[in-house]
Amino acid sequence: MSSSLSHRPDQEKADRAALMRIIEVWKPHAGRLIVGLVLSLLAVIAGLALMSGAGLRFAGTVIGVTVVTTLALRVFGVSRIVLRYAERLYAHDAMFRALATLRVWFFRSLAKGAAAGLGFRRAGDLLSRLVNDVETLDGLYLRLLLPLAGAILTFPVLVVALSRANALLAVLIGCLFAISAFFVPLAAARLSRREGAALAHAQAALRVGVLDLVSGMREIRVFGAGPRMLDRVSLANDRLLARQKHQSRRLALVGGVSQLCTQTAVLLLLAAIAGIGFDRIAPVEGVGLLFLTLTAFEGAGSLARAGMLAGNMGAAAQRVVAVADEHPVPHQSVPVATAMPQTFDVLYDHVGFRWREDRPWVYEDFSLDIPAGSRVALLGPSGAGKSTLAALLLKAVYPQKGRILLGGVDIAALPDEWVRRHVAWLSQATHLFDDTIRNNLLLGAPEASEEALWTALDEAAIGDFIRTLPDGLDTWLGEGGVKVSGGQGRRIALARTLLSDAPILVLDEPATGLDAQTEQDFFLTLNRVATGRTVILIAHRLTGVEHLDRVWRIAGGVATAATA
Amino acid sequence: MSESKAAIKAWTGAQRRMGLRSARPSILIGLATGLIGAFQMWCIACLLGPVLSGLVGQASQSTPPAWPLIGFAVAACVRIVLGIVGETASARAGRVARSRLRREVLTTFVGNGPAILRHAHSGALAALVVDRIESLDGYFTRWAPASVLWIAVPFCLLLVTLCVQPHAALILGICGAAVPFAQAAFGIGAAVASRNQFLAMTRLQARFLDRVRGIATIVLSGRTEDEATRLQAAADELRQRTMKILRVAFLSSASIDCAMVVALILIALTDGRHAALMAQGGDTGAFRHLVTDSLFALLIVPEFFAPLRSLALAYQDRALVQGAAEDVLALPEAPQPAQGQTVRSVEAHGITIAFENVSFTWDEARGPALDHVSFVAPAGETLILAGPSGSGKSTIMELLLGFVKPESGRITFNGADMQTIVPDALARMISWIGQKPVLFAGSLRENILFARPDATEEELAAAVHAAAVDRFLDVLPDGLETMIGEGGFGLSGGQAQRIAIARAYLRNAPILLLDEPTAHLDPTTEADVFESLIRLTLRRTVILASHSTAVHMFHGRRVDLSHGHVSVCQESA
Repeated sequence: MSSSLSHRPDQEKADRAALMRIIEVWKPHAGRLIVGLVLSLLAVIAGLALMSGAGLRFAGTVIGVTVVTTLALRVFGVSRIVLRYAERLYAHDAMFRALATLRVWFFRSLAKGAAAGLGFRRAGDLLSRLVNDVETLDGLYLRLLLPLAGAILTFPVLVVALSRANALLAVLIGCLFAISAFFVPLAAARLSRREGAALAHAQAALRVGVLDLVSGMREIRVFGAGPRMLDRVSLANDRLLARQKHQSRRLALVGGVSQLCTQTAVLLLLAAIAGIGFDRIAPVEGVGLLFLTLTAFEGAGSLARAGMLAGNMGAAAQRVVAVADEHPVPHQSVPVATAMPQTFDVLYDHVGFRWREDRPWVYEDFSLDIPAGSRVALLGPSGAGKSTLAALLLKAVYPQKGRILLGGVDIAALPDEWVRRHVAWLSQATHLFDDTIRNNLLLGAPEASEEALWTALDEAAIGDFIRTLPDGLDTWLGEGGVKVSGGQGRRIALARTLLSDAPILVLDEPATGLDAQTEQDFFLTLNRVATGRTVILIAHRLTGVEHLDRVWRIAGGVATAATA
Repeated sequence: MSESKAAIKAWTGAQRRMGLRSARPSILIGLATGLIGAFQMWCIACLLGPVLSGLVGQASQSTPPAWPLIGFAVAACVRIVLGIVGETASARAGRVARSRLRREVLTTFVGNGPAILRHAHSGALAALVVDRIESLDGYFTRWAPASVLWIAVPFCLLLVTLCVQPHAALILGICGAAVPFAQAAFGIGAAVASRNQFLAMTRLQARFLDRVRGIATIVLSGRTEDEATRLQAAADELRQRTMKILRVAFLSSASIDCAMVVALILIALTDGRHAALMAQGGDTGAFRHLVTDSLFALLIVPEFFAPLRSLALAYQDRALVQGAAEDVLALPEAPQPAQGQTVRSVEAHGITIAFENVSFTWDEARGPALDHVSFVAPAGETLILAGPSGSGKSTIMELLLGFVKPESGRITFNGADMQTIVPDALARMISWIGQKPVLFAGSLRENILFARPDATEEELAAAVHAAAVDRFLDVLPDGLETMIGEGGFGLSGGQAQRIAIARAYLRNAPILLLDEPTAHLDPTTEADVFESLIRLTLRRTVILASHSTAVHMFHGRRVDLSHGHVSVCQESA
């Protein structure tokens, strides 16, 4: 923690940069956000006018002068109520629009880098980022920018009004206001900056803990780990609460400081009206100023707390922006291809690849030629890097050395979407969504007809099963396909892959979870259905019924021909 | 439906009682703060009254008394300190309540076992524990004290005002009384809107988690844009629902603003007129008195409405509790552990497992998964369950793990009906390896020790060796301390499975259930793993479900299942 002190300027710069990125994402909503701001400022003015008007009116009536007309008072009153309501409604709506945009932007940014799967990032943590951090950011506009703009507007009004009565008083109360509205929030933001990251982290840890508990229930029951896992989640909860305790105590203190400023300002003003310590100011004016001061400080009071949250916003913005910046990039830039390839021969040309700088090479110098329309199998033990070849071909990861050619064109020069439209991949981690079977299938080919769906299902040897379901294609699959067995889910995923009209099919362990008989049936079907397309079959063993042109054994980072 | 409504009422009632009990300090402090505020306003009035009236009455320009200033300052200090103490106290009440609720919900999860995932998406369950309960904080910190203070503080202030300035008290009373009517009218709408909003919120979260888990599939199908559009639609729905609640909330606080402004203007006008009349009368003493009283009445107006405003701000907190009640009560109740005897002999002679005419149906529409299945797995021997997928192998495993109960027939362990065995004792007897192990957030070491946290370093090393985990430790960046991500990134399916096997070694239970343990492994690794497993099966009762051809490596009985029936039951060579 102490090291963060020395990094503070850097951190603040990073915070500011992250917040600017967020504001940039909000650009489409600039108009609405500005209208919200203007409304809020008008409401502030109406509030100031109403309160000082009411005070002046009363004091004036006592001495027999009409300082403020009843009509003016009514106008201030009504406009205060109406403007306040309109401002809150409009500003909140604008903010939620901006937040929705931010959510979608986050998803898109994540998608850019996520083709290879979530990797070391945990889905629970990501969810936490999206939902909580994005929501923390709603304070940026509503709780920080709007009140701050109000305070900046109020400050000169207050000081000018006071200085007409008494210059010393104006300086003193002006200082108190500046402390309450500007310095205390700034100090609070600095203080909470360190807390912000820790708080968000603690909340993410709790969520990951609960997700672990829920999805690992089978293991937990089998190993009698219920109490242990409960303790683990409780610990995460306690950590979060300890952080919150810290924060709430600080919030209370910050609130106390701003209250102190308000009360001192009122005291000074009263002293001036009474003529104690100051030159006495005119009573009627004094009463008006008293009400004005009370209202001005009331607005500033909320800023002190908002400052506390500003630290969290900086951390939240950094986390959200960080996700946008994590995506794989080619190691050397290649000019974008002008013409798309017409043939679909695949060539791995002296490819070198490793997952990270500090991990060993998966391939150092790998070459393999897969002619269009051929059927090949890539065999090898788990961990040999068979799936990596598919990831490379789909541009989910980029090679550090060499290149991959598709129809003679380096795929680095081809648009990602084009490559993925022409290479369909059934990966080992293919995900079934919490949706209907139909929607899961349509993911591969949104335009597919009912007939095409059933053909694909039959080819994947799952059509008969789905016909027996009462809701047929509209059966809800549930999370990760829990409502069907592993093998059935796998076959639905396979049907989804077969539906795509891509000329290259990469099937990574398609028979996982199928029993021996179904597996054979499936490969016999496959021999029939994918004629004319390139089929790259990745497997740890063959059943013997597959029709294959070539069989390659992948081991030690090279492909060696095996008998077909 | 009325029953569930009653249950929700009972639950929220219980929360309210507990909330009020823990909010007592905050309530007392809030009451004190309100009265101190009144005192401060009285000080201001006493200071301003003479000054204002002195100006008219041509009385001597004597300096006003200093006591109101001192009184105001002292009261201000007390008020600030009370404010800090009160806020800290209510924050504590919120923390205690959230801890309690989380523990209750999580205990229900654990009590239900894997069945809980049939009830709801894991994202939704996590949202319930984390966000939903977090959102109840306001109920305990804000709503509970506000629900008492909104009536107590204005009532006290009204009494005080009544003594000072009766007709101003009348105005305040009428304006104040108008507020609850407006609140009641808008409040019902807020409660209804809030439930829908939370549905939308949970749906968005579940959708996002699901989409994030499968993001590679989305990207590689080129559907990022479509999914982003749908996410946009979900977020828009969330916004519309939230705005519905907020509109009501803002309207109700606007009604308070309105009442306050009306009271303020009415008092300013009537008292001003009174004062003007009185000023012509010439009685300076009474005039000064009137001005002081009227000023007090004017100043008390914001103080009078402040608790009402806090209540309006806290109103949606109350609606949140009702929404949470529905979710918490919708959770299936954890089955009560059966009180029964444990099996007498555990290690000495091993355990014989017998299925006697066991039937089970998951879904009426799909027919029985098991139909009068009987077989015996003798103590210390291996029983192989064979058959195509869907033949009932997994159902037998679920039954043995105690996640479901047989509809008819019984399962016995050494002759004792499984249902009569205490779940803890049952868990101690059984070790299990499934198709895909769940790896928890943490290091590899923690994940293996998960099976038995009190294992010694030697036992851990032995398990690591026996399961051949040590063969791939070298390629991991930090060996056993390597952190494992969701689903175990960096580990292949085979490597993850070896961790599960290491767990089973460490567990050292007399019964071992193997549910397609090598389904994801290549033949070489499978042979290796089977070899490790064969050593593990020695002197244990093993039930192995597998359709691998390599299963002949195991010696034991073989039970062939098809469509929930035992088709062949044979002694293997």
